[in-house]
Amino acid sequence: MSLTGSSPTPTTPLSSPLPGTVRADDGLARRLAAIVGERRVLVRPGELRGYESDGLPGYQRRPSLAVFPGTREEVIDVVRLLAEGGIRFVPRGAGTGLSGGALADDVVLLGLHRLTRIVSIDAENARAVVEPGVVNASLSRAAAPFGLHYAPDPSSQTACTIGGNVAENAGGPHCLKYGVTLNHVLGLSVLLPSGEIVTLGNPTGETQGYDMLGAFIGSEGCFGIALDVTVKLARTPQAVRTLLADFSSIGAAAQAVSAIMASGIVPAALEMMDTATIQAVEASIYAAGYPTDAAAILLIELDGAAAGLDEDAARVVELSTLAGARGVRVATDAADRARLWQGRKKAFGAMGRIAPHLVVQDAVVPRTRLPEILAEIGRIGERHRVSVCNVFHAGDGNLHPNIPYDANDSDESARVHCAMTEIMEACIAAGGTITGEHGVGLDKLPYMERLFTPATLDAMCALRGVFDPDRRSNPGKVVPIHSCREWHGAPSARARPA
Amino acid sequence: MARRAVCAGTPGVTGIAELASAEAVAARIRDARATGTRLRIVGRGHWLDAGRPCHPTESLRLGELRGITEYEPGDFTLTARAGTTLAEIAAATAREGQWLTLDPFGSADGSIGATIATSSAGPLASAFGTPRDHLLGCEVVSGVGEVVRAGGRVVKNVAGFDLARLMTGSWGTLGALTELTVRLRAKPEIDRTLAVEVQRPSHEMAATVWRWLRASPFTPLAAELCSSALARTLDIGDGVILLLRLGGNAQLVRSAEHAVAELGDAREVDAGVWDRLRVTEPVNAAVVRLGTVPANVGQLWTVASTAAQRAGGYAHATLERGIVRCVVPVVAAEEENGRLRGIMGELQSDGSRIAERLPESLWSDVPSSVADQLSLGIRRAFDPDHLLNPGILGSFE
Repeated sequence: MSLTGSSPTPTTPLSSPLPGTVRADDGLARRLAAIVGERRVLVRPGELRGYESDGLPGYQRRPSLAVFPGTREEVIDVVRLLAEGGIRFVPRGAGTGLSGGALADDVVLLGLHRLTRIVSIDAENARAVVEPGVVNASLSRAAAPFGLHYAPDPSSQTACTIGGNVAENAGGPHCLKYGVTLNHVLGLSVLLPSGEIVTLGNPTGETQGYDMLGAFIGSEGCFGIALDVTVKLARTPQAVRTLLADFSSIGAAAQAVSAIMASGIVPAALEMMDTATIQAVEASIYAAGYPTDAAAILLIELDGAAAGLDEDAARVVELSTLAGARGVRVATDAADRARLWQGRKKAFGAMGRIAPHLVVQDAVVPRTRLPEILAEIGRIGERHRVSVCNVFHAGDGNLHPNIPYDANDSDESARVHCAMTEIMEACIAAGGTITGEHGVGLDKLPYMERLFTPATLDAMCALRGVFDPDRRSNPGKVVPIHSCREWHGAPSARARPA
Repeated sequence: MARRAVCAGTPGVTGIAELASAEAVAARIRDARATGTRLRIVGRGHWLDAGRPCHPTESLRLGELRGITEYEPGDFTLTARAGTTLAEIAAATAREGQWLTLDPFGSADGSIGATIATSSAGPLASAFGTPRDHLLGCEVVSGVGEVVRAGGRVVKNVAGFDLARLMTGSWGTLGALTELTVRLRAKPEIDRTLAVEVQRPSHEMAATVWRWLRASPFTPLAAELCSSALARTLDIGDGVILLLRLGGNAQLVRSAEHAVAELGDAREVDAGVWDRLRVTEPVNAAVVRLGTVPANVGQLWTVASTAAQRAGGYAHATLERGIVRCVVPVVAAEEENGRLRGIMGELQSDGSRIAERLPESLWSDVPSSVADQLSLGIRRAFDPDHLLNPGILGSFE
């Protein structure tokens, strides 16, 4: 199976070469090899094939070469060498991103997954300093003996890297209570595309002046490379309750979500899965014991102090039942809880059984609009004769309507493309946004101009220009290049593509 | 960051008509750009004594940009024009059992725009974070008169580069905020405030409380350590007092109250104490906020609270955040420079030191917070002629 983005037949070209930028050549490969060693520079098409895709292999772009530094010093030397030559590059972590953000189209791919050192864990202050290639789940594992963990938990957490999480401002189910990556990063050492190193944020106190740390997080590799990341660690809660509520209609499940959120209880996570997703999971090796005849299930997790937690759980049961739940069960032990979560976290993988390809979306809508949007998504799916699987972060309105399909069937691909475009339009019209945690990358580029005004896109370009004036780092991503005009120029001078 | 009511006008600055739309603000800024007029952004006009003095030619008055434009309680989001006061937002959200969990020091007649622009936070930041953790989106008019709409109105959003974070705490130097969307939270079932007389020698007090908080399974809504002078002003005790705000269901709060007894005598006080804490600062005062890693907050507290108290002022610490805020009254600024310099010299920290309010003559001692190439580049991109709040964050070189 492969995953693709909202546009299964991507046609958007990456940016055309910029003036003054140079393509990689053999001489470059030799000079890079002198820094990182020959084995760490790939140039042959066969070797590069594995790097043609990220988590959305529906898009394929071949890098001109790939280089994999193993130390901070090597990263700095590589970036400075590229800067000297005005050469463009794409930073990449584990390549698990779901927006095509780590694709390198005939430019240098700079892999950071070898920088896996956890530099320090300061248990007393509940923080850690890590290199960008540290895997998300490894950090939590290392922090566990101190009663701590790293709270943002994207579904790919067993593979994705902290550097990639910073680039994407990654989320995850538990971000409902604990916040996204932005809320957990205290400081960064950043290597700008020019080769200069700057410190953003202040792990030992407050900062004053512009929040460049905040601006860098979620900049999708366009502002530079994080050489080290200082993160906050969360205390492992004293107690956890995981509940599974099952509903005979999606509307009732959405109503339960609203009732729980309005009650003042802040669940650690509040996830919804629809019938199509439940059945995909239950037919897979990740079967979690979900009721296959349910129209929707909610996976609700409460955590914190043990005192009062059962009362909160009882209230959640009551509110779910009032909203029309057929039943609510509480996980009996840690193994049961892990099984319930595995079904959720591996749902995308489970959809792979249905068809060879999968489009993944990440739109967010105001939570009160969930019932109507879910109904609209259902109608769009029927109209285009595609099967939409919904599995998402209901607590914050972050949808993942996914469609399994066969990319080799051009008729089906076209229908999927139409359905996905209409779903995105519906979410934008409902006051939502195009991505809650996966990033714009390449995949959602076509929607940026529907969401933001020209002046806003321009301001984004201007901000990027401060960090990377030549737009050499991850070129052609996030903001459509033709949206960038000189900030102070006349609007009429805006160049539009033919 | 800042304070009590002062008059809306800045002395020596020509007042002009209030502007009532982003488009009007944009036109005004474009005019100013054409004539090289430097502007001081004025919202409700309550917090103008915060930050470094700036030297504008005219005011950019946004006080008429007022009112909540969108509030859907079920979404826990609220959109308001920049001049809307925190009190107005508190009243509207309270009717729905919700609140905006920002309680910056200063009058609740301060505006949401100023709160975000100055990144001002209070004791609730312990549990809920600072303005950057609350702002979902904003409309802002840049220094070139462009209306930019950053972020969105949903609680989770990674579309595009994060202009909303950039505007938070930029003190209006990148643009004039005209409308903001913020995240709200449900009020807890029980919201109870305790005044705890911590039974420890003064030099161990803050460290003891911090260790207790760290080890406890409870996450208070706020935990603010108040020096004895402050405690007396707030009428909560004679010694150093821990103000602890507990939220949750009845069982949780009862259990937390029981656990607090380990620290000392605790008694319930009315929640109004938090509002009094926000407005208790003297009209003329020097205010400095020191920060450190949380584990060092005990040591920082001992030094800073002693210095503040000796100078006739007070201190309070947001322990979970490692912050000690020192307030020293200024009687007659000009004669006092020498004395104040001495006190400021004692209020130091290895982590961070942020001056909120100072007599004008002392600002030259405070390093600029924007004297780096990236800051200069950002200012150039958004306000190339340095028209907006010139100098308020310090020099760009």
